[in-house]
Amino acid sequence: MTDSTMQQNEGKREVTFRVHRFNPQVDTKPYYDDYTIKLEKGITVLRALNYIKEHVDPSLTLRAFCQAGICGSCAMRINNMSKLACTTQVWDELDKAKEPGVIKVDPLRNLPLIKDLVVEMDPLVGKMQHYSNWVESTMPEEEWGKKEFLVSGEEFLKYDKATDCILCASCVSECTILRANREYVSPAVLLKSYRMNVDTRDASHDQRLADLVKDHGVWDCTHCYRCQESCVKHIPIMDAIHGIREDAIERRGVKDTSGARHAEAFMDDISKKGKLVEATLPIRTNGVGWTLKNLLPMAVKMVIKRRTPPPPPLVKASKGIETFREEFREMSGHVAKDHEKQSGE
Amino acid sequence: MGRVCTEFRLSMKPFDIVIVGGGGAGLYAAMEAMKTNPGLNIAVISKVYPNRSHTSAAQGGANAALANTAKDDSVELHIFDTIKGSDYLADQDAVEVLCSEAPKIIRELENMGTPWSRLDDRTIAQRPFGGAGRPRCCYCADKTGHTILQTLYEQCLRKGVQFFNEYFALDLSLDGSRPKGLVAMNIKTGRVEPFHARTVVLATGGYAKMYWNRSSNAAGNTGDGQAIAYRAGIPLKDMEFVQFHPTGLRKSGLLVTEGARGEGGYLVNSLGERFMSRYAPEKMELGPRDLVSRSLETEILEGRGYDSPAGKYLHLDLRHLGADLIKSRLPQIREMCMYFEGVDPIDEPIPVRPTAHYSMGGVDTDNFGRTVMDGVYAAGECGCVSVHGANRLGGNSLLDILVFGRIAGRAAAEEAARFSPAPISESELAATEQELRSYMKPSGHYERYGTLREELGQTLAQNVGIFREASKIDKGIEELTALKERFSHVRVFDTSDVYNTNLLQVLELRNMLDLAETVAAGALVRQESRGSHTRTDFPTRDDANWHRHTTYTLESGRPKLGFKPVTMGRYELQERTY
Repeated sequence: MTDSTMQQNEGKREVTFRVHRFNPQVDTKPYYDDYTIKLEKGITVLRALNYIKEHVDPSLTLRAFCQAGICGSCAMRINNMSKLACTTQVWDELDKAKEPGVIKVDPLRNLPLIKDLVVEMDPLVGKMQHYSNWVESTMPEEEWGKKEFLVSGEEFLKYDKATDCILCASCVSECTILRANREYVSPAVLLKSYRMNVDTRDASHDQRLADLVKDHGVWDCTHCYRCQESCVKHIPIMDAIHGIREDAIERRGVKDTSGARHAEAFMDDISKKGKLVEATLPIRTNGVGWTLKNLLPMAVKMVIKRRTPPPPPLVKASKGIETFREEFREMSGHVAKDHEKQSGE
Repeated sequence: MGRVCTEFRLSMKPFDIVIVGGGGAGLYAAMEAMKTNPGLNIAVISKVYPNRSHTSAAQGGANAALANTAKDDSVELHIFDTIKGSDYLADQDAVEVLCSEAPKIIRELENMGTPWSRLDDRTIAQRPFGGAGRPRCCYCADKTGHTILQTLYEQCLRKGVQFFNEYFALDLSLDGSRPKGLVAMNIKTGRVEPFHARTVVLATGGYAKMYWNRSSNAAGNTGDGQAIAYRAGIPLKDMEFVQFHPTGLRKSGLLVTEGARGEGGYLVNSLGERFMSRYAPEKMELGPRDLVSRSLETEILEGRGYDSPAGKYLHLDLRHLGADLIKSRLPQIREMCMYFEGVDPIDEPIPVRPTAHYSMGGVDTDNFGRTVMDGVYAAGECGCVSVHGANRLGGNSLLDILVFGRIAGRAAAEEAARFSPAPISESELAATEQELRSYMKPSGHYERYGTLREELGQTLAQNVGIFREASKIDKGIEELTALKERFSHVRVFDTSDVYNTNLLQVLELRNMLDLAETVAAGALVRQESRGSHTRTDFPTRDDANWHRHTTYTLESGRPKLGFKPVTMGRYELQERTY
């Protein structure tokens, strides 16, 4: 769009919304519809989509409820990032658009598609149930209402930020593990689990933790940080995930599950050599039997392609390892403190 | 619309309780009902996932005389503040229930995991709120409703409550004057399904969204439960009382919590005056909502507002509170101001004007949530007990949904065995489906729902808004009649069965139109000014003639007016000053 046409329209810009469409009763596969409208500055994506629905195409289907960023209904992918349509400014998105003047709108990923921009939320609810995402009060129900638990401000701060979660499922949509494995617990449920686990009023910490360390659980996360980047409430979700892992190692020991053993092997290598000893990592994580059974074919292929990692004796400590070890020790000492601080922010 | 297995469903044994609405009132009702009798078969049906309900938007908090912050607070003082706040239209026995149950229910929520903000002595923190004599409002930063809703949803999942999410309740199915249950549309399939029920609890929230752009409410606060009751012949009560919140954001009508003033925010006009000194010299910004809203509107009408293309407005100034306090106690508010107004309250004052916020009126119930129809209950903003009378105090709405949600849940659980509903007939379901389909039929002349809805909001804001007078209300009623007529030509363009939001919007508009008539009728008949209802042609409270509730029953398509006495108690009528 040229400057002169912009002036003619008193600061309005022509914007094309390229919207994902799918009606399961009619369509065999999804497609995109382009809707081009003129908009002024200050309009949110949700208002623009509502305008399209009311004035251009009433069949365009999306969820929206509070329109104020608190109910979480209108999460969708805008220009390939999951976020709330109601708090996203059109002009901000125009700056990020790959194709000038075009904003791409898709449904959330990793949840079954129902129609257009609407996805099924039941799987998320099911996981919340599976991982007992509630406080199982230490107080018997008959006693409820009589007196308060005394909770320090410090403890409150441990879960304050986590209780900001509005279950919009943006993190679920961006999670790279879920893309590979829909059974994975998912970031929102890990966050909620963490929130329950640090609450001293809760009695089912151990059971929840036992569920979380199982397959598809907390150890499956690969630290890609997409969940935290996409969180519409800016919750440090990764801190919660790390929090659960630390808790798991502390309470259940480093030999507990392959996840814990993997983490320990990692730490061990880094502190000793400053780098990984990859050849033995699977054995230390999952044992000899599992490794032979599951990784032997791959190892053979790696040998053929000459891509095998060096055997352990050949992995020399990194340059400057002495200084590093000192820093590493110091860092480990600070970890606990850091986490306290972060959860307080 | 394809309906597959109705026969199977018809043979299903009735639910003991069907709760319509998954907000604070509905979820508390479900939990309490399960606690009362774990053997009961209970269903919660909600047009949104329960965690999306509008309870989540309540920012400020819930009142309870815990006396944690002010040691000299008491249930008595809370009762008095509430009755005075209601402009003496609340029923005093109901207020007593509300306030004496308050400490217990706040502690109960605490015991089940609600993350309340804390005082140094580790007890639940409380802050000052409008119209309250003591700092009595329990809160969790500015996300109180959100955290309460999360807690209740979590606990319902823990207890295994049966949820029917994304079902839109259409109407009660009646056997003479007795309910057989409820007919609802499964939004995901478009199928009309019967919910046979011994008892039905309506807990669908408020109707203030009928003011549309001048409303802080969610898009779905369309009074579905009230409209369902009204169409079934159950009386509504005090519908003319709609609370305008003083501080809606200028452009969107979204709300800036009263907590912002509770924390010390100033209201300032274009002359730089803290104008509340003119209207409530003692309480200043913390006067009750009706008074503060009228003050803002008066400042604007008398030319002391700021001007903008989006309309005239005033300033809510938080800058003197400092960045730290704003960030720690009002983080959501700060975010909202930045998203929707482009203003950071740390650096700039917030542009505000009054916005329709809360419906004091609702389905007429007794203190147990019972309506006049056996087996039908209402609770929360959907019901009208009445504890808020002509004006609700800030912090009393969350309390209302919790206390009376629980009471209604218990009552329904205890009384369910008394009722054995007749089956909902196949032909009734078919007729309902036919009716829904008829909105989609192509016709020569048609109306768009968006236009009608826009006009509904405008006529209400202009003619039945903060300041009302006979000539304006008459005009409003005329326009509403015309809108209803035009609605008969409304057309749903989306003809699909799956997730048809176009159809939903039309059904919601139908509910709003039905209820708008009662709001306007009540506004016209009540020839006095009381609480949120201000008649410029009758500027004073008239206890001799109008110290009574209004009721509305649907009769041949129009609201038939009736009256009910106000239950008095210890507190005599007094002039209400702050």
